[in-house]
Amino acid sequence: MLIDIKDVYKIYNEGEEREVRALNGVSLNIDRGEFVAVVGQSGSGKSTLMNILGCLDIPTYGDYHLDGQDVTDLTDKQLSHVRNKQIGFIFQGFNLIPALSAYENVELPLIYQGVKASIRRERVQDALERVSLWDRREHKPTEMSGGQQQRVAIARAIATHPPIILADEPTGALDSKTGKHVLDILRRLYKEGTTVILITHDNSIAATAPRVIRISDGQIMADAPQEVDWL
Amino acid sequence: MNLKQTIKLAAKSIGARKGRTFLTMLGVIIGLAAVIILVTYASGTTKQMMELMQSMGTNQIQVSAYKWSSRQDDDSVFNALYNYCRQMDDLVVGVTPSQSCWATIQYGAKSSRTMDYSDYDHYPPEVYLGSDQWAACNNAKIAKGRDLTYLDVQGNNQVCVLGSRAAKLFFNYADPIGETMTFDGVPFTVIGVYDERVDESTLTEDNQWYKQQNNFILLPYTAIRALKVGGSSSVSSYSTDFVVKAKNSAASQEIQARLEGFLKTLVGDAKTGSSYGSYNIYSQDSYIDSTKEASQAQQALLGGIAAISLIVGGIGIMNIMLVTVTERTREIGIRKAIGAERKNIIIQFLIEACMICGIGGILGILVGYAGTLIVCKQTLGIILLPSYGITVGSFVISVGLGIVFGLYPAIKASGLQPVEALRAE
Repeated sequence: MLIDIKDVYKIYNEGEEREVRALNGVSLNIDRGEFVAVVGQSGSGKSTLMNILGCLDIPTYGDYHLDGQDVTDLTDKQLSHVRNKQIGFIFQGFNLIPALSAYENVELPLIYQGVKASIRRERVQDALERVSLWDRREHKPTEMSGGQQQRVAIARAIATHPPIILADEPTGALDSKTGKHVLDILRRLYKEGTTVILITHDNSIAATAPRVIRISDGQIMADAPQEVDWL
Repeated sequence: MNLKQTIKLAAKSIGARKGRTFLTMLGVIIGLAAVIILVTYASGTTKQMMELMQSMGTNQIQVSAYKWSSRQDDDSVFNALYNYCRQMDDLVVGVTPSQSCWATIQYGAKSSRTMDYSDYDHYPPEVYLGSDQWAACNNAKIAKGRDLTYLDVQGNNQVCVLGSRAAKLFFNYADPIGETMTFDGVPFTVIGVYDERVDESTLTEDNQWYKQQNNFILLPYTAIRALKVGGSSSVSSYSTDFVVKAKNSAASQEIQARLEGFLKTLVGDAKTGSSYGSYNIYSQDSYIDSTKEASQAQQALLGGIAAISLIVGGIGIMNIMLVTVTERTREIGIRKAIGAERKNIIIQFLIEACMICGIGGILGILVGYAGTLIVCKQTLGIILLPSYGITVGSFVISVGLGIVFGLYPAIKASGLQPVEALRAE
C-alpha cells in the first residue's frame, strides 16, 4: 500500500462558532501504479485532501502512512525530504519561479536533493524532452504560453522520478486542446508505472480515469473503478 | 544543496530586481563612503597638525633664566646651561639660546626693509641667534654648505646659515654659499642652507603661516657683540630664553626635573627669597598631547556620525528583505513544496542580504576612496588614502549588517507552512 489514510480530519477554528471541517473523517487507500481522479465541487475538501496527501499540510486528526511510514510523526526537515523524493506536484497555477528559466525551474528539486551537476543535467534534459520543451529550456515562464508553463511544471515534477504525481486541477487554467495534451502526458506517466492522483472539479476529466473518488463536504461519497477507452 | 548553487540562486534573484537592489545598496554605499571619508579626513587633519608641530620641534623644553646682576652681553648663564646639558648627553639632543632680533638684512639691492609684510610668500626672514645645536633643537637639516660649529660660536665668527625660504628670497636660484650679507650693516658670510623644515607643498590656505618655519637666518648667538659694536639699537637685550631638546618624552620629564634643581642653585629662586635671579621651565609636550586628544575626539565623533548612516543603511536592507519575503511568500511556498528545507530558505535569503551588502560594500569603498582623494586634496592639499584597517573594518561591518538585518526576514520566511505560503498571491 503506497498511500494509506485513516479517519483523517482537517478542522479549522476547532471548537469555535466558525469551525470548518474541511475533511471530516476520510479513509483512503491507493496502491502503487494507480491512476486516481479525486472529483468534487469547490469547497468540497478535495484541495485540502491533496495538501495532506502531498505533505504540504498536516491533518488535525488521523493517520497517514506513506509507503509504510507514518507521516504525521515527521519533522519539518523530514517532510521536506518526503516532498522532494516521493511526490511530484503539478498545480493549477503552474507555480514556476518567475526569475528562473525553464531549465533552472526543473533543476531546482534536484539541487535541493543534492544531485551531482552532471547527473542533474541528464535528468533535466530527459524531463524537458519528455514534455517536448528541451529547445525552450532558456525561456523564462513569462515568455511561454500557459500550456508550455504547465509542461515545464510537469517536467519539474518528474525530474526527481517520484513514485507519486499529485496534480491539482492541472488543466484548470488551460484551453481544452492544451489541457488534453497535459492529460496525455499524465496517462503516459501512469502507463510507465507512476502513481497519478488527479484532482479536478470537471466530471468529463474524471470520466477518463480508471478509478474515481467523489468527495463532498469533506467526506468520500463514492470510490469506484471504471472502464476507460485509452487503456 | 551546496553553497555554489545557493550563491548562484541568490545572484539570480538579485539580478531579477536590479533597480530596487541598487536603491537598497545605496544606503550601504553612502554609509560606508561617509565612514571612510570622514574618518580618513579627520585622521589626515590630526596627522597634518602633528607633523607641523613636530616640524617646530617636539620634546622641546623652554627655559628662561637670568641673573639680576648680568651685563647685557653676559652669556655665563647659557654657558653654564650648555655645559650642564652636555653632561646629560644620554637624554639631551641639544641646547641653544632661543632669541631673535630685528636687524635689517641686506644683500646687494635686496633689503628686508622693503619686503612685503602682508604676504607670507614675501615676508622678510626672522633672524635667530643660536648655538651650534640650534639645528638639532629645531628639526633643521643642512641641505647645502655646512652648519654652525662650536668654533664659530666660540670664535665670534661672522657667519650665518639660511632657512630654505630665506635663501630663495635673497638669492633665488643662485648659490648663496660664500656670499656676504649684512645685518644692520655688519657683514656675515653665508656658510650653509637648511632644508625645508615644513613641506610647503602640503600647506593649505589656512596654514600659510607655517611657511615662516622655513624663513629665517641663523647667526651664532655670540654675534650679538658684533651687532652691538655695529651700533644698532634694534638688537634686543641679552639672551634669557633657551631651548633644551630632549631625546624623547620620558627624557623630557627627567631633564625638566634635573634643570629645576640646577637652575635653583645657578640663578636662585624668587619664591625662596634667595633672589639674585629668576628662572622658568616650560614644556609644550602637554599642549601637543591635549591637541592630539582633541583631534582624536573629533575623529571619533565624525566616525560616530558616519556610523549612524551605516546603521540606517542596514535598517534599509532589513526593510527591503522583509518586503521581499512578503512578496516572495509564494516562491518560498513553491520551494518548500518541491523539497527545500528550512535551512535552504534561510541560507538563500541570508546570502542575498550578504551579497547586497557585499556589493554595496565594495562600491562604498570605491566611492569612499574617490571621495577621500577629492576631499583631502581640496581641503588639506594632500593625497591621502584610507588606511587598510578602516577599509577592511568597514567592509566587515557592512557584510555583518547584512547578516544581522537579513537574519530576521530569513527566519520569518523559512517558518511558513508550505500550504499557507502557496496560498499567497
